[in-house]
Amino acid sequence: MTPNEIIRSVLTFLVYVIFQVLILRQLVLFDSAFCFLYIAAILFLPYEIDAVVLLFICFVTGLIIDSFYDTFGVHAAATVLVGYLRPIVINAQFAQKNLDTRLELTLPQLGFVPFLAYVGPLVLIHHAALFFIETNNIGLFLPTILKIIASSLFTIVGIFLVQLFSKR
Amino acid sequence: MLQLFQFISRSRSFIVFVLLEVFCFVFIVKNSNYWGATYFSTAGSVAATVLKTSNNITQYTRLRETNEALAQENRRLNETLVRLGQSRPAGAPPMYQVDSAFARRFAFVTVAKVINATTFNPNNYITIDKGYDDGVREGMGVLAPTGVVGKVKFTNAHQSLITSVLHSQFKISAKLTRSGEIGFVEWEGTDATSVLLNDVSRYKKVFKGDSAVASELNSVFPAGAMIGRVRSVKVNRDQTFYDIVLSLSTDFTRLSYVYLVDNKLKKTQETLEKRVDTK
Repeated sequence: MTPNEIIRSVLTFLVYVIFQVLILRQLVLFDSAFCFLYIAAILFLPYEIDAVVLLFICFVTGLIIDSFYDTFGVHAAATVLVGYLRPIVINAQFAQKNLDTRLELTLPQLGFVPFLAYVGPLVLIHHAALFFIETNNIGLFLPTILKIIASSLFTIVGIFLVQLFSKR
Repeated sequence: MLQLFQFISRSRSFIVFVLLEVFCFVFIVKNSNYWGATYFSTAGSVAATVLKTSNNITQYTRLRETNEALAQENRRLNETLVRLGQSRPAGAPPMYQVDSAFARRFAFVTVAKVINATTFNPNNYITIDKGYDDGVREGMGVLAPTGVVGKVKFTNAHQSLITSVLHSQFKISAKLTRSGEIGFVEWEGTDATSVLLNDVSRYKKVFKGDSAVASELNSVFPAGAMIGRVRSVKVNRDQTFYDIVLSLSTDFTRLSYVYLVDNKLKKTQETLEKRVDTK
């Protein structure tokens, strides 16, 4: 990674977080679909990043988001979970291929289906963890499932849109 | 021992993961703890500052709705205020019981926005953006937040024309609050910031700076609606009345929202008073 790339990663990261807390926080569709686009900031960190560093980045990001959502650690817990699972999913999805070139986690580099196979499960896991921890009530199982599915779709569509319109 | 270190080294990401998750859950469970609330909530210093800044910016985009909502709220409050004032008039004898229909006769029908206004003609009119579809009727009174504006002259479905106070035909009975004297307000036709108050006897006391409000003797405006303040008082040797100049409380060049006031008993009052002429 060149310094240029590092600066770009940091800036992208900040833009995602600011966008989340200032704009997407107010955007809720049909009272059940939330857009947690900030998870993309974690998903598209460079592939080579150290697993422990990644976990700490996730934790801090989660805490920042928590402090704006007043959720005290819920986002941090879900994001740390994603941070832990990310290397595992990457290994499972891309271990056999791409050995000769450097793996870049973007839509044009991966192609539509592998990209979805990488983003989809992680977003779903993140949202599931998030809403179940937040609800903390098994009686609200069905509404929570509805929220998880709607929000995951919303977030995934958001991630695709950002990928389609970002220049790389 | 070596094996233990190797194990820790190999699974260090898992150990960190577990530790962080434990930390998160402690945080979640004790979510009301002091330092958490202080630093990691929207009440905390950093997030609060950021959100306040963002709010300050977005507020500008909502000024229009806020204004409209405030105008509506004022309309409601004005109506309540007038009703309360009418049901307990100041200076009434203790046995006086006000008729409830009479006390409720003034209704603040709607709020309208001024879309055209003149101040420099001998007879000035104001156009507003509400017509009979919104309940505006000819003869209704028009008030601004700062005071009396005029009377509805014509209406169509969506607009109305208002005879402004700055009109040679406009007359309103006014009362000076401090001295209690009653006179008629008229416009002399040139200055958009002042009107004349006639018919106040020169043998009464009139104070400079006293405020003139709509008196009880008028059927269009609720008593107490502000008109202006006494700017100058002059006496002519050969006349029995003062020449009083009032500065208008309303700036007619800068009108924006106005309230339309309806007196529900005006028709009945007029028919009653007309019976004198027919017999």
